[in-house]
Amino acid sequence: MTRYDLAQLPLVKPLLKSRWPQWIIQAIALAGFIFAIIAGFIGTPVGSRNFSIVFVWIGWWALLMLIAVPMFGRGWCSVCPIPLPGEWLQRGAVIAPNIKGGFTLGRRWPNKLRNIWLQNGSFALVALFSAVALTQPSVTAIVLAAFLFLAVGASLIFERRAFCRYLCPVGGFIGLYSQLAPIEVRAKDPSLCATHTEKTCYTGSADGYGCPWQVFPGGLTKNTYCGTCVECLRTCPHDNIAINLRPLGADLQQPTGRRLDEAFKAFIMLGSAMAYSLVMLGPWGAAKTAAYSVGSMAWAGYAAAFLIFIFGLLPGLFWIAVALSKKIRPHPRPLPRKRERGKGEGGTRKAFVSFSYALIPLGLTAWVAFSLSFVLANISYLWPAISDPLGWGWNLFGTAAMEWTPHLAQAAPTLQVIALVGGLLWASATARQIAGDLKYSTRASLPVIAFCAAVAVGMLWLLVG
Amino acid sequence: MGAALAVAALIIVFAPAPSLAAQPTERRFRIEASSYEYAPPAIAVNVGDTVTLELVSTDYVHGLYVDGYGLNLIAEPGHTERLTFVADKPGAFRFRCSVTCGPLHPFMIGKLSVGPNWLLWRAVALAGVAAVAGLVIARR
Amino acid sequence: MLVIGIMIGIPMALVLARWANPAIELRARLAEAGGWTPADLTADVGQPLTLHLTSDDVMHGFAIGQSDAPALDVPPGTMVETTLTFERPGKYTFYCTRWCGLGHWRMRGTIEVSGPTSEPVMEPQPLYVALGINVDADHKIGDAPSQRPSAERGRALGIDLPEEYLSMDYYRAHSPVDLRDSLRANGLSDGDAWDVVAFVWRSNTTSEALAEGQRLYAANCAACHGEGGAGDGVAANALANNQHDAAMQFGQHTQRPADFTDLQSMLGASPALLQGKIIRGGMGTGMPYWGPIFTEPQSWAVADYLWTFVFQYQEAQ
Repeated sequence: MTRYDLAQLPLVKPLLKSRWPQWIIQAIALAGFIFAIIAGFIGTPVGSRNFSIVFVWIGWWALLMLIAVPMFGRGWCSVCPIPLPGEWLQRGAVIAPNIKGGFTLGRRWPNKLRNIWLQNGSFALVALFSAVALTQPSVTAIVLAAFLFLAVGASLIFERRAFCRYLCPVGGFIGLYSQLAPIEVRAKDPSLCATHTEKTCYTGSADGYGCPWQVFPGGLTKNTYCGTCVECLRTCPHDNIAINLRPLGADLQQPTGRRLDEAFKAFIMLGSAMAYSLVMLGPWGAAKTAAYSVGSMAWAGYAAAFLIFIFGLLPGLFWIAVALSKKIRPHPRPLPRKRERGKGEGGTRKAFVSFSYALIPLGLTAWVAFSLSFVLANISYLWPAISDPLGWGWNLFGTAAMEWTPHLAQAAPTLQVIALVGGLLWASATARQIAGDLKYSTRASLPVIAFCAAVAVGMLWLLVG
Repeated sequence: MGAALAVAALIIVFAPAPSLAAQPTERRFRIEASSYEYAPPAIAVNVGDTVTLELVSTDYVHGLYVDGYGLNLIAEPGHTERLTFVADKPGAFRFRCSVTCGPLHPFMIGKLSVGPNWLLWRAVALAGVAAVAGLVIARR
Repeated sequence: MLVIGIMIGIPMALVLARWANPAIELRARLAEAGGWTPADLTADVGQPLTLHLTSDDVMHGFAIGQSDAPALDVPPGTMVETTLTFERPGKYTFYCTRWCGLGHWRMRGTIEVSGPTSEPVMEPQPLYVALGINVDADHKIGDAPSQRPSAERGRALGIDLPEEYLSMDYYRAHSPVDLRDSLRANGLSDGDAWDVVAFVWRSNTTSEALAEGQRLYAANCAACHGEGGAGDGVAANALANNQHDAAMQFGQHTQRPADFTDLQSMLGASPALLQGKIIRGGMGTGMPYWGPIFTEPQSWAVADYLWTFVFQYQEAQ
């Protein structure tokens, strides 16, 4: 597998090693973030004319889902403004590294919570209220402000970026999908790290902070929890950190380290892409009003159906597919008599977790296809929002009177087909490879591939049909 | 095997769609708009039909903008808007509300089908090819 | 410190700038959500009143009742500015001009314009009051014709009519059946009599008035009474079922809107009765009162237009 270290290119390493370029982008993002909170509270309640809704759920979301995640994995995390204020307090410094440290209790994150279940839950929670949160500026403002408070609080109590690693709902899925990204941060020569006793990439030095993501950069094998913040690039005294360009989906090739919490994240993301495509982009007004009228019986029904689908029905159907796969695999020898009586048959749970990683590329492309629909249809709201961010009749840049008009409306369906078919191809190849990892025959991956195909066809029908 | 799949994919993408040579007729549709749906939510015509849309709004000022055709109707209760056009572009086109009518306005969506939805059929066929191709692609 | 300063400073600056603005911010919301805020404005004679209008939900409109000034659309999420100057003191009604649900007609507010009063302006007494007509009484007749009478046929009959029957006063004060009875008493057949009535009715209005009436009807009445006048507008069912939340909120009963194509009912009503109903409203039926909105000529134009649902007026297209 070929890797090409982008840090070799001229300008790349100096730009990344300097703290300024990253800080400037983060500061601009922070200003936008704070303005979005302000606009949400004091601006017009009409979502399509408020900076808060337009720039967060159309502008930033397009940037994230269509560019940042597919091409840069956790690239957004490296410039995200949410942890910034908390980190300034935690580090006691704004830019230059401060060995003495700042104000924080610096506690270790509890072991029981060292997984992404909290993020699974927080994403599902936001999803239940998304019809309101994504259309009401004041609710978006509350959600963003809540993230900010949580992040600051986490930084004051815990060490490093606890919010980012364990609480942020966005980080939950960015991490999952970063396994597909064509770039990675890795040690060039891990054996060199073995001889380096100080491990400044983790502990920090005068040149930078120890990994805020609580990862040991020298031992990184997957992108999932690396926030590409490149502190390690700054602190490694042996210049042993590379930013590699690599084939797509390289992390999926690794048979080890597959976990149930990540598997469920794949279901949550895939299921919510399907649910949103059905409810928000479909023709049924009753479903939309049900999703919006939080607190009513209709909404309770919607919430129950949504949760049952992503936590129950979808994984349940997949479990059946996996069980079928297990049946199809040839038995090389009789099963041992003494087996662990765990959840379900011994081995099915492991197969379930492993095979669910095939849903990661499917999920990413499903989200890309879904996002293309409403982004292309509504990106023209950005132009008036720049000139009149609060809906107060301003015209800062002369674009306030620009009418809404869908862009590339004829191209969108074709792009969606390319995304979904491409995703299915990728998922199918991944399923076959995972079957090999589990020592199943190639044929055994067919039920899982059939599941993926059914999902892909369902999404095609919802978006393009 | 890989070559066969590639050929199949090319055929699916580029083979011309058979024209089902239905006589173009005049069609008329009364579409009722309310927040946030259209009734009927989907209408189907043949390629070449002369289509008259009547937009009737039942609660607020609503619009109907057809992707791909760029048509825009605006109606409010008491005022029905009519527009006649020739459905010369085949495919499935979403139509959307073009006047803010509440928080979920960007999600008020319906569909105009002109002829069979060849894009969908091709896509489904391609999906089949892709699913099989995944089995065949050499492990990297 | 800087960040906190910015976080507090910017919103404060923005909010202060808004407060400092002398223009009045007039927010439009659905009637169920509060309607106009503020709903009561004051102004002085001759002093310009600048309003910044915005909508918080759907498309609304703004106009001053009984005024020639064109209506202004108030789109959601942006501000439109208008400046009003009043020549005479008094109480003016402003209202919403884009249909915004069943509470649309309730979206009204007032502008109290004070100034040196010359002589008090006497409002003319509505005709139905002067004539003692009970606007709410049933006015169904039992023997309406099966077909709509034709003004053209009535004219072609060439009947020599007494001056009295052709006067505007007669037209307004009498119902079609009154004239039909008089004509039958003079020997006309029932069918011919009705056609002559249609002709007389048509002769008491002008093409311009009918056009104005049609415009006002389409903008204000069609949503409930139907574009074809049959009481089958898009809001009709909700009114018939008394489903309107605002009706509940305002404690008012509603009922199905009147069917202007119902010959039994219309032919027993005089124009004064119709015009009275229009300006006074329905008193517990959900029918709005248009008195503050239409000028007197406009209210008569609408009443004149209603007869086109009953009589065939051959209009040059």
